[in-house]
Amino acid sequence: MIKALIVDDEPLAAGLVNEFLNAYPQFEVVAICHDGFEAFKAIQAHQPDLIFLDIQMPKITGFELLELLENPPAVLFTTAFDQYAVQAFDAKGLDYLVKPFSEARFAQAIARFLSQHQTPATSNIVPEEGFPVLPGKSTRLVVRVKNELKVIQVQEVRYVEANDDYISIHTGEGKFLKKMTLKQLEESLDPEKFARVHRSFLVNLQEVAGIEPYEKESYLLRLRTGQKIPVSKTGYARLRQVLGL
Amino acid sequence: MYLTAFSSSNFGKWTLPGIGCIWFLGGYFLLLHQGISEEQVLVDAFFLTLLFLGGVLLLDRVFRHYTPNRKNGFLLVLFPLLLSGGLAWGHAQLLSWWFAKESDYLELLEASFFYRWTVFGLVFQLLAVLAVVISKVAGQEELSRREGQLLQLSKEAELAQLRQQLQPHFLFNSLNSIHALVLASPQRARDMVLLLSDFLRGTLRSEGQSWISLADEIKYLSMYFDIERVRFGHRLLVDLQVEEGVEGLKIPPLLVQPLVENAIKYGLYGTLGEVKISLRFQKEGNYLQVNVENPFDGQASVPAGTGFGLSSVERRLFLIFGRTDLLEKSAAQGIFRVHLKIPVTG
Repeated sequence: MIKALIVDDEPLAAGLVNEFLNAYPQFEVVAICHDGFEAFKAIQAHQPDLIFLDIQMPKITGFELLELLENPPAVLFTTAFDQYAVQAFDAKGLDYLVKPFSEARFAQAIARFLSQHQTPATSNIVPEEGFPVLPGKSTRLVVRVKNELKVIQVQEVRYVEANDDYISIHTGEGKFLKKMTLKQLEESLDPEKFARVHRSFLVNLQEVAGIEPYEKESYLLRLRTGQKIPVSKTGYARLRQVLGL
Repeated sequence: MYLTAFSSSNFGKWTLPGIGCIWFLGGYFLLLHQGISEEQVLVDAFFLTLLFLGGVLLLDRVFRHYTPNRKNGFLLVLFPLLLSGGLAWGHAQLLSWWFAKESDYLELLEASFFYRWTVFGLVFQLLAVLAVVISKVAGQEELSRREGQLLQLSKEAELAQLRQQLQPHFLFNSLNSIHALVLASPQRARDMVLLLSDFLRGTLRSEGQSWISLADEIKYLSMYFDIERVRFGHRLLVDLQVEEGVEGLKIPPLLVQPLVENAIKYGLYGTLGEVKISLRFQKEGNYLQVNVENPFDGQASVPAGTGFGLSSVERRLFLIFGRTDLLEKSAAQGIFRVHLKIPVTG
């Protein structure tokens, strides 16, 4: 049996997917969830092979949910309208069903899934460069803390440090890890509020208390909390520009 | 230009003959007691007037199309000076040819040359300045007229654009609900088709009207709530209170609806669990007071940039009433409140 999970905040929409899926005896619907939190838990519990995922949902979006999964299953997106996902998903997603969709269109998506499902090397649904974001528009970050989800508002972020494939996000509450590159994060944040001061550091400009020279051609940034962050030569030039020094 | 400076063109067309008569009479009476014959006075005054009117027309022509700037401002003095000199000289030449044999008159003509030049010069100088002022004022009027038209145009364009933003997200999800209901619950599917049709008809109809009755707006909003209840039935609670007697008031369309959309967006699309949206209409003084409340979640993921949004309502209020103090919003303890005042008459 192939385990499927349906995530949609509208019961009727989720019910329709369930109804369409009933025609395929090899699938078993393990859960129907109406928001990202519920879905996150259900995915941990059931380890489904396939998720039908709505993008626009309360609290966290379908994209944000996927970013948090260690080994995301195959995903079929179901959404009524989305400014950027239609284009962005041509290449990246398994398939993208635009609501309302026909049974024939649904069958196509299932066929696509089945053909890929046979070959065990299932593609990682999370694209290399992450999910499309509206540049400079992110207002929050979703991270996982053990098996719970946590939403961090960007203004609570003090600074972010790059650690290989991960970034560690430092806030007043502590440090949170997220699988993402610093470059992706930098692009998704407002460049007037966050500055990349170093290859491995991105700081919230609100938190900057001062800059002091350190060795030749390098500087140290002092945060309001007293912490010090290295600043590279290019990072210093960028800081001067955004702070208007 | 002097002829068009008056707001009434009827008045304007008498300007030139009027100043001609005054000039002629002035010249006539001044010359009358200079000890020359009646005929000489008449001819002199006549040509003086003719040349004067020619000069006025010339000035009008020149300064209608040309306003001296700072650099060649001296032209404003030089041109009337030369023109008056030329006219006084021309007059003297003409009259000395006309009355070539009358030495008494010629003496007077010669003696009065600089006197005439001075009077011509002063008057032309004054007219030149007047011409520049008139052309400035007329230009300003033209400018503000165009600005008004521009504003009107951009107003219309903006309103049209705002209306077009009716969310496709809402429309397609509603269609999808119908799609789901057709087999499972045909009667509800039918109800939903009718609701959605009425709702969309209402949207289209309000485009042609600049003011609608509150009763229509409330009917429209109720349909909107009903549709959302079909989609999210298990979660949406609506508390609608309408004070008696306000239904007949006329309000501009697309002021209340975006507030409700906003409440749905943050309340229903943005939070989990049961959502209560309350909507109150009451009249106080010359205002219709509209209160909208919805729960919200500071961490919610709401689609950015869709729908009309509160800022559009503020802009619309400014375009319609020219005021920026009609919309107030506040957020406390997870509840978002919007208070809208719509000026009404009667």
